[in-house]
Amino acid sequence: MKTNRVLGAGQRENADCGSPNRGLFRIPNSEIRNRENHRIVITGLGIVSPIGVGKEAFWENCLRGVSGIKPIQGFEVSSYRSRLGARLPEIDFKAFIKPANLRRMDRIGKVVVSSVRLAIEDSGLDLRGEDSGRLGISIGTGLGSSDTVDQFFRSLLKDGPLGAAPLLFQTAVPNAITSHCAIEYGIKGVNITFSHKESSTEMAMTFAYHLLKEGRADVIFAGGGDELSEPLYHVYSMLGALSPGKGKGVEGMRPFDRNRNGIILGEGSGVIVLETLEHAEKRGARIYAEMAGAGLSGSTDGLLRYDRKGDSIARSMTLAADELQAVDHISAAANSTPDLDEGETLAIKKVFGKRATEILVSSLKSVLGEFDGSGGIRACGLALSLYHGMIPPTIGTEEIDSQCDLNVVLGQAKKKEIRSALLNGCSNGGSNISLWFKRYSA
Amino acid sequence: MKKRVVITGLGIISAVGKSLTEFWNSLVEGKDGTKEITVFDPSAYRTKIAAEVSRLDPEAHFSKKEIRRLSRCDQFGLIAFREAWKSARLGQNSFNKERAGVVLGAGSGGILSVEKYFRDYYQGTERSSPSLLISYSLATTTDHIAIESGLKGPRTTTATVCSSSSASIGVAYEMIQMGLADVMVTGGSDSLCEVSYSGFSSLKLVDPENCKPFDKRRQGLVIGEGAGILILEELEHASRRGVPVLAEFLGYGICADAYHLTAPEPNGEGVERVIRIALSHAGVSPEEVDTINAHGTATPFNDIAETRGVKRVFGERAKAIPISGIKSMVGHCLGSAGGIEAAATVMTLKTGIIPPTIHYEVPDPLCDLNYTPNQSIRKDVQVALSNSFAFGGNNVCLVFRKFDENQ
Repeated sequence: MKTNRVLGAGQRENADCGSPNRGLFRIPNSEIRNRENHRIVITGLGIVSPIGVGKEAFWENCLRGVSGIKPIQGFEVSSYRSRLGARLPEIDFKAFIKPANLRRMDRIGKVVVSSVRLAIEDSGLDLRGEDSGRLGISIGTGLGSSDTVDQFFRSLLKDGPLGAAPLLFQTAVPNAITSHCAIEYGIKGVNITFSHKESSTEMAMTFAYHLLKEGRADVIFAGGGDELSEPLYHVYSMLGALSPGKGKGVEGMRPFDRNRNGIILGEGSGVIVLETLEHAEKRGARIYAEMAGAGLSGSTDGLLRYDRKGDSIARSMTLAADELQAVDHISAAANSTPDLDEGETLAIKKVFGKRATEILVSSLKSVLGEFDGSGGIRACGLALSLYHGMIPPTIGTEEIDSQCDLNVVLGQAKKKEIRSALLNGCSNGGSNISLWFKRYSA
Repeated sequence: MKKRVVITGLGIISAVGKSLTEFWNSLVEGKDGTKEITVFDPSAYRTKIAAEVSRLDPEAHFSKKEIRRLSRCDQFGLIAFREAWKSARLGQNSFNKERAGVVLGAGSGGILSVEKYFRDYYQGTERSSPSLLISYSLATTTDHIAIESGLKGPRTTTATVCSSSSASIGVAYEMIQMGLADVMVTGGSDSLCEVSYSGFSSLKLVDPENCKPFDKRRQGLVIGEGAGILILEELEHASRRGVPVLAEFLGYGICADAYHLTAPEPNGEGVERVIRIALSHAGVSPEEVDTINAHGTATPFNDIAETRGVKRVFGERAKAIPISGIKSMVGHCLGSAGGIEAAATVMTLKTGIIPPTIHYEVPDPLCDLNYTPNQSIRKDVQVALSNSFAFGGNNVCLVFRKFDENQ
């Protein structure tokens, strides 16, 4: 048998079992995760966002409090109650993607592949020198190309089954975006696509983290994204999810605000380069932060309901972070809906008790808009916060709701040496995931 | 230490059976579930057949109000889930629901409902009902199952279509390895819909007659539907509950061809790699493998690539390993194919019966292995693989072993 470098978990030495959590929201000893011995670090960031392409433009605008939300152009919204969206700027994809491959991709394919390209460049990885079987990709997305599915369906309605376009169908599958990346960059190891509403990308990063920890890959590109298409907009609108909802309020995205009234859709893609510390050290990589844990939990309030009481979000945060005392910042999932913002607040208070007010909380969703795969860009943002010691403000929010009385960073970015931070991803229907990032120190 | 993970429950709904027993008996007998499509009007299509679940009686399972909110995919998922839940005796035992989660694979999801909405919307013939859009997300069936059973552990949905529910089993296993859960509901559900049917038709991948994996006359797949749900459980947890173990899940491989958006890598290099990764993760040598539940879609290229990949791993011994292509009976159920085939693999380990590849008559010199033609066989099976490959060269291979508590 040919030797294979991929080792199973059982073939790896098991590291310490660590000390149990000492937070208020205690997890019994039996539930402490068993741990493998690889440390996992973030060594590259690829961002295609409504406020900028590439980490420099993105980060500068984040800190300045620039919003990506604008009146929607590109499709007609006059018949809807909502007008706003956070769409991407025009992008010259030729700068990122080989021309021969470009014509096979739809828009979201191009966006995700570009974000991987940016992440690779930022990481300094030379893929030609890597074992392609030890490179992986783990992507989260709501639907991949909702627009291509729609175009394909309309071609079916118009021209009948015999006129349906095969080229559209092959990119209509949600994993086409992941396949494009694998083909473009010769990534032959782990390959997976998740689609679970607003926790899709957090799951993609969790899976990548776990496999790396067990030594089953050297590098995994993890994250993902979505596009804001007309059919998607229509569906959200019909389901009553968009601000200003049925009430009289003003359309806008304002997490934790007293007058929050629903979401505004956004789009984009963010990918982090996750890598074992050994591999990163060997090539002298710059390390933005360490990924040190992931916690997952579910709430069961209803199909379109968030964890309003916060019990499940509290569990996912507690499971993610071994040292809750060292958490200084939370990049919140709060999306300007009445239920999630309140549930996340309750969860933070349950987990941190009196210390909750010391923790600086910020939500990037009013910058990016809400979309299922927003966690990739938000993870890039959090890695930059840890690296630079700066927390971007929660924009749009003017008056904190008494039910959301956290220490929310408002107005201006805040300078703060962050020891460790949580990234929350919470879906309607109830999949709640927290990732724990630490400032890297050797 | 790697935890031992076992299967303690199975639930199936498919074209050849609406319960595990009926499904398994059909497979053993080599029954074909292919029939004329009724869930939509196939008259304008080149082909008019699918492995459809006929005479689904939603009223026997759900209230009128529930039926309005549940897509066909949700209904399949919930029906199979309830059977799996019952067979694992999870309703009888008290256990910690915060440590029980759901990871399903999705294919088309609730698109059948969404199609209906958008057909009405674009054609303007009827007022479209927004409640059909509840099923827009691929996560919908997963959420329904978790909410119905009050499971508060990890939850997610994989979306690699043809390999989704095999990938979901791998992800569910990792939730147990990460220490986040003791019990995971996994597998997948999918229903026929026009988007996927016309999509595969437009790629000219649908056989007009029936599905004949590895046969020289094969012209492509027959699309199927249904759900295959497995209960994965950490061994000690299952022992404490005193529930019978159906088989052990040893591990899996997941990787990519990185070759083409729809065509498999022709030399079977990606298939070889995923099987080797799976065996290595499972701690099993190639010599120990007794049978393979093939991906076997009966598309011209897949079957050759899979055959070549198997030969690359097993060498001369490849011809001695019985391979089973059950898509010849249940069709290609896309998002639930991996779950249904994993359930069949578990049943093979439990019963020592390998189901056949039916409609096999004319050997193809490029597919020259033992495909268990037309008749099921008996064999002492200790280790079995289940392969799933998807568009874009998304490969998954699962490794199961007959359960032996002394091992």
